[in-house]
Amino acid sequence: MADSPDFETLVARHYEPLYQFAFSLTREEAEACDLTQQTFCVWAAKGHQLRDVSKVKTWLFTTLHREFLGSRRRQKRFPHLELEAAELELPVISPDVINRLDAAQVLDVLKQVDDIYQAPVALFYLQDYSYKEIAEILDVPIGTVKSRLTRGLGKLHQLLAETENQPPTP
Amino acid sequence: MNINEAKTILLLYRPGTADAEDPQVAAALALTKTDAELACWFEQHCARQTALCAKFRQVGAPAGLKEQIISEQLAEIRLNARRKERITAAVALSVTFAALIFIVISLAPHFSGADRSLGAYQNQMANTATSGYGMSLLTNDLTQIRTYLAQSGAPADYTLPPALEKIPVAGCAIESWSDKKVSMICFRTNPALAANQSDLWLFVVDRKSVKHIPETSVLQFAQSGPLYTAAWTQGDKLYVLGTRGDEATIRKFL
Repeated sequence: MADSPDFETLVARHYEPLYQFAFSLTREEAEACDLTQQTFCVWAAKGHQLRDVSKVKTWLFTTLHREFLGSRRRQKRFPHLELEAAELELPVISPDVINRLDAAQVLDVLKQVDDIYQAPVALFYLQDYSYKEIAEILDVPIGTVKSRLTRGLGKLHQLLAETENQPPTP
Repeated sequence: MNINEAKTILLLYRPGTADAEDPQVAAALALTKTDAELACWFEQHCARQTALCAKFRQVGAPAGLKEQIISEQLAEIRLNARRKERITAAVALSVTFAALIFIVISLAPHFSGADRSLGAYQNQMANTATSGYGMSLLTNDLTQIRTYLAQSGAPADYTLPPALEKIPVAGCAIESWSDKKVSMICFRTNPALAANQSDLWLFVVDRKSVKHIPETSVLQFAQSGPLYTAAWTQGDKLYVLGTRGDEATIRKFL
């Protein structure tokens, strides 16, 4: 097993993608900063319990997501939907439309997607995590990840397509 | 797998990732090679995915976030270190204090000011003999004295010098030395003395209760306060015989 990286190296390596994930969930800079910092605080206190150092990144994202859920005090159970059960209308959106938007606009659109789809979609686009890794981070079955991604991406694309028809913000 | 099913599957495909290793995705990808409409859709899809990935990654962390996380954690570490130091210091202080208490208690008898030397013992016994003690048993019978001392827990298995055995005994008392009982056997060499008076005293004590006694039975003579004394050891006992006079006087009784 490789040695655990020191705290500064760990922060330098992971704070930015963690912040991006936090920001995609909260859309609030201060809250995203707090979540990121809290994640590293949890690491400082409990990180030594992680035996497999190769799982550090997943551990950090899982912790951040849990902290986010804790901050929202969400207690409701998420429905488990298999991919086959998802009804989907595939949207048509030009890549040019996406390219005309900036990151904040894309995340604003993501914010309009149902909460349970936001985290898997953000992880899907942010870090190239495999479906299995996203399932580990979110602590849900891989089938649930796929169904949420299918619905979440569908909704995101649909909302992005709608922005195409909206007049530009002055 | 039809075209719509393939699109549904490929919606989760990100170009340049390990998504292609998924068996369902691989099958759908294979279909893009044979279906022109799907291939066209897939090309657009890859461009969308690439653009969206880029947008998500454009979000930059605020300047100074990294430094803030590290500095606050370092502050926390320092705070914890100070807490730990204080606790360690308190524990060390407590242990040191406890050790000091233990040492003081252990060594107290040695440094309590009580002189447990032979000279001190001789002086104390001489002063006892000359300062109005009371005999606890008045008898001229040495056997009775020995029995009484034994019953009282004082040294009783002593051996008298031959000359001393011939001196009339007046009685005995039990004195104390360093928490040990001392057998005080009182003799009367002057027949004119009253029955409860004596002028020659033998003190017997456990030799371990007196410090720095030579490991020999050689007689040691000394002026001990108002009396002249002779001291010797035999077995586990220390004997001190005292009377008024000098060495020649006391030698007559040994």
